[in-house]
Amino acid sequence: MTDLLVLHALRCMGSTVVGRVAAATGLPESTVESELIDLAVAGLVTHTSGDFGGWSLTEAGKAEDDALVASEVDDVRAAVTRCYKGFLVLNPELLDICAAWQTRFVDVLGVLTDFHGRADAVLADLSAALPRFARYRTRLGYAFDRVAAGHTAYLTDNLESYHVVWFQLHEDLLATLGIPR
Amino acid sequence: MIHPLAPGVTASADVLGAKAHGLISLLRLGLPVPPGFVIGTPACRAYLRDGRLPADLGPAVRELAAALGDRPRSVSVRSGGPVSMPGMMDTVLDVPLTLSRVAPAVEAVFSSWHTPRARTYRELHGIPHDLGTAVTVQAMVFGERGGSGVAFSRDPNTGEPVPFGEVLFGHRGDDVVSGRSVTTPLRELAGREPAVWAELLAALDRVEAHYRDACSVEFTFESGRLWLLQVRPGGFVGRAAARVAVELADAGVISRREAVRRVPAFTEAPRIDTAGAEVLTRGLGACPGVATGRVATTADAAVRMDGPVILVRPHTSPLDLHGLAASAGVLTSTGGPASHAAIVARAMGKPAVVAATDLTVEASHVRAGDRVLPEGTLITIDGTGGEVVLGSPPVLTNEPDPYVRRLLEWGA
Repeated sequence: MTDLLVLHALRCMGSTVVGRVAAATGLPESTVESELIDLAVAGLVTHTSGDFGGWSLTEAGKAEDDALVASEVDDVRAAVTRCYKGFLVLNPELLDICAAWQTRFVDVLGVLTDFHGRADAVLADLSAALPRFARYRTRLGYAFDRVAAGHTAYLTDNLESYHVVWFQLHEDLLATLGIPR
Repeated sequence: MIHPLAPGVTASADVLGAKAHGLISLLRLGLPVPPGFVIGTPACRAYLRDGRLPADLGPAVRELAAALGDRPRSVSVRSGGPVSMPGMMDTVLDVPLTLSRVAPAVEAVFSSWHTPRARTYRELHGIPHDLGTAVTVQAMVFGERGGSGVAFSRDPNTGEPVPFGEVLFGHRGDDVVSGRSVTTPLRELAGREPAVWAELLAALDRVEAHYRDACSVEFTFESGRLWLLQVRPGGFVGRAAARVAVELADAGVISRREAVRRVPAFTEAPRIDTAGAEVLTRGLGACPGVATGRVATTADAAVRMDGPVILVRPHTSPLDLHGLAASAGVLTSTGGPASHAAIVARAMGKPAVVAATDLTVEASHVRAGDRVLPEGTLITIDGTGGEVVLGSPPVLTNEPDPYVRRLLEWGA
């Protein structure tokens, strides 16, 4: 199922580099790179060179990913939909926290701690339904621990920050349930 | 615990909420506000304590229904506390005006005081948890049969004493602030709805005289009839605030001392020197200042790219915040001065240009008329004049401004 992992992680990130896909999937960079090359040969992903280049899905890759996630979610659609509703309640609250931090640099650790407890409960249910989502629980947990330890860049200003991981989780839920953005 | 929306109501903003308090001020000025009533904050606190709605809700609903007569009897049920908590609590629209439909809507709005999101917001903004919200129940006005907009009594970019704003024909007010639609400059109203325009100008004059400051109103018109839905005094910054304060003092509306007090110290925004620069397109300046950076067409790319970037999007949403935070400036092809991109840019103090309508944002490049700019192209935006320029043109700083100079003299 590595196929789905790399292809789908890339889909949820848009356009990005090997290192970030490795961070998202928890796979070694060398594995990710050889996987991406195989996917490129199959016409599912493409690489743009240059300073702002990176890997992204082709239309065929998107269709393939749609098919893979649809067959995977089939048996657990009700549970994932329930978790998605839980996510939607939490989503604007996290955006408030990030906006307050970005615009006024207030102390957000207290509210983030409370938020993270509720978010983690939703992610626990989601991971039980579809184990692939456990990776988000790990990544959000890591980002939260970094913020709690005073590394505030892990709230919004870093590519593995709480906000960026949350954004990918949102993309993933939409893709998994076949909901257009 | 229920107050009609009527000129004689004397309850304070602590009880009525800031929004309803403003509506009553409008009524006192003889301006058109859709009929309705306000359930005060004490009723919210009582409801949250023992789960009971005020006993006078039934009579209030019946009186409003009688006042509406033949008009369509549907209402909006909106929260509005003494302190603004925008978007935090429920609003219920198109509620049929019967007790059995209004009561649950009021309960929903009261209960939304305690949602985790609202709690988090209060923590972040230092708002006490025991304040409670008021609820305004008000006849719906259908902008679909006319239009909606935001109007300022003076230009908020320059302070010039001319009406300024945006209007969206055939839409409700919610569509004006979403940024998804391209709004039309307010003055278009003059040609298309001359009676509404004349009435709006008169209303802006009256509101400004009352608050003794530049003001903005949200308005809707339905079948040629104007309604005011909200009023906000002040809120201008920088040079615009200086000009308003100086002109109000010159007119004897406020004292020179008050003028000086109203305008905090600020630095004047630099401008692009467009002589010799290649202007790619123009939009509306939404937050003053000049920003130079490489074009990023997605929030993710903005975060990923090295060095300063300009985030270029059709419009932005809260999901783009990480990209906005990473950018030196923001440029959008749709939206107006009240759109998400404009509001966030102002909050972050970043130059912004919105409604650059001949711009198309595609995957990894931007089209400006016939020009194609790949991601990474160096551009400069001017958040005052709305210019978008290729490369890094010369910048003019601190043009002398007679209004600022006079204010500084008065303050000395």
